Amino acid sequence: MSWGRHAARLGGLTWALVAAPSALRAQSSDSVFAAGVRAYKSLEFDLAAWLLRRDLAKGSAAGAPVAARAEGLVYLGAAELFRGRRDSAVAAFQRLVMLDPRYRPSRLVFPPEVTSLFDGVRLETKTVTVEVPRDTTMTPGPDAFGIWIIASSFQLVDVTLRYEDGAPFRSLYLGPIGDSLKVHWDGLDAAGALPPVNRVLLRVASRVPSGALAGIVQLPLELRLFRPDTLPWPSPPADTQFLPERAMSGTARRALLGGVVLSGAVAALPALVGGTDTPSGPRIAVAGTIGLAGLLGYVLHRPGRPLAANVRANQTLRDAWRRRVATTTAENARRRQDVRVVVRAGEPTTIQPRGP
Amino acid sequence: MKIPLFVLAAALTAGELRAQALRPMGSASLVTARVRSEVPAGIDQFTGSAFLGQGALAMGRVALSISYLQGSLNHDGGAAAGRDLVEGTVLLGVRARDWLTLQAGPHARAYTLVGSTQRWLFWELRARAATAFVGSAAQGYAELWRAVAADANVPEPFDHAQGGEVGMIIRLARAPLEGRVGYRIDHAVLGGGTRLETVDGVVIGVGLAWR
Repeated sequence: MSWGRHAARLGGLTWALVAAPSALRAQSSDSVFAAGVRAYKSLEFDLAAWLLRRDLAKGSAAGAPVAARAEGLVYLGAAELFRGRRDSAVAAFQRLVMLDPRYRPSRLVFPPEVTSLFDGVRLETKTVTVEVPRDTTMTPGPDAFGIWIIASSFQLVDVTLRYEDGAPFRSLYLGPIGDSLKVHWDGLDAAGALPPVNRVLLRVASRVPSGALAGIVQLPLELRLFRPDTLPWPSPPADTQFLPERAMSGTARRALLGGVVLSGAVAALPALVGGTDTPSGPRIAVAGTIGLAGLLGYVLHRPGRPLAANVRANQTLRDAWRRRVATTTAENARRRQDVRVVVRAGEPTTIQPRGP
Repeated sequence: MKIPLFVLAAALTAGELRAQALRPMGSASLVTARVRSEVPAGIDQFTGSAFLGQGALAMGRVALSISYLQGSLNHDGGAAAGRDLVEGTVLLGVRARDWLTLQAGPHARAYTLVGSTQRWLFWELRARAATAFVGSAAQGYAELWRAVAADANVPEPFDHAQGGEVGMIIRLARAPLEGRVGYRIDHAVLGGGTRLETVDGVVIGVGLAWR
């Protein structure tokens, strides 16, 4: 019986080595994966492991989606387990947990031996994934920028922002994490000021309960400060807009001259029209009245006299300009404080500590 | 004579009559009048006071003005009977400049004597210049006229006549009310100087003018 099973495996492997390569060359990666899964379901675990490993190698090189690679790894781990290679199965599951800490094998597809081994590996493997929005524009302040951290299992994490040279920029969280955790950054540095640099590193260090470093996930954050333009100062009123605040000499001179000319005309009118022996009394009275009016006009409009109406009009003009300046000042102060930080997240990288 | 004046007025005001509001004005004045008649037989001089009412209706540059004066005059220095004075004008004017108005029209005057009435009728051309000289409150004006034709029921033939008025109008800033003081005189020469008629007086009045 045992001999028969080994013969069958050998036959399948021979077919795979001899016949399959020429056929597989024409197949896509999905077909290799599907063939591996079919082999797994046909209990051809050696062939399945070979096909799935080949598929994963291709997928890793080609940058296949995480979900596809995770499916390949779980079948690979299961196949290795049933081949009796528990260490290889553990290694495959460790890769799977590192790839996607949220992954859980289907308990309808995989038997309890597989899922329990996977759970054990997951509990032992301390890793996280970091999820941040690709592009964020935020106003610095509490809860401005959210960072989701998803853990494979309970562990301690140290979430920090660092300068490019690794020096600390801002500590965000240090403590335990169960399933997931949302950490916030207010967009400021440790001193509460706007970032003085345009690139920082978001680093999440995973630690085992004993404190030993288990792994680091790190991704770059490109920072850009956006300050709204301030308004230009309102130009002051032009000199031509102001009315004279003191009486000019023209009006007073006109009043005086007009009074003199009209008075003279009244006095000279009889001679002008040829009248003879006209009494001078009424004429002198009229001429005097007009002359007096002219003199009064000169006094009322004397040069340099303050013109209250013009002073008020000019003051209104100046006040309106001052109000515009105050409004602009307040608006510019508001705009200076309305600084936005634009954050662009890069691709995460995982750093594994070197073994002892 | 009237037709050329009408043509002149029409030419100066063409295109301005449309969409113009009517601006009425009216005034009442007290006139201290003195009439002096100088003839070879002697000099008669009468003085008294008279009421002068004036009104005008302006539209654009054109204005029609009328006046009516009536009063009683007493003979100076004698027991001679007085005479009543009645005078009226109808003048059509054109404002050639903001400060200059040209007018033309009849000017009638009548003296009621004992048993008869002496009538004078002048056809006049007038020029009136007016401008403010104390801010906008006081406006000075000077008016000169000359008779281009006349008719009088006196024995001497008409020779020439002319006259004028100079005065001041005080206007209130926000009201159409105005006050006026002026001196007026006209002088007629008849019969080559054998008869000289001079009428002069002081005008003091108040008026309403919508500007």
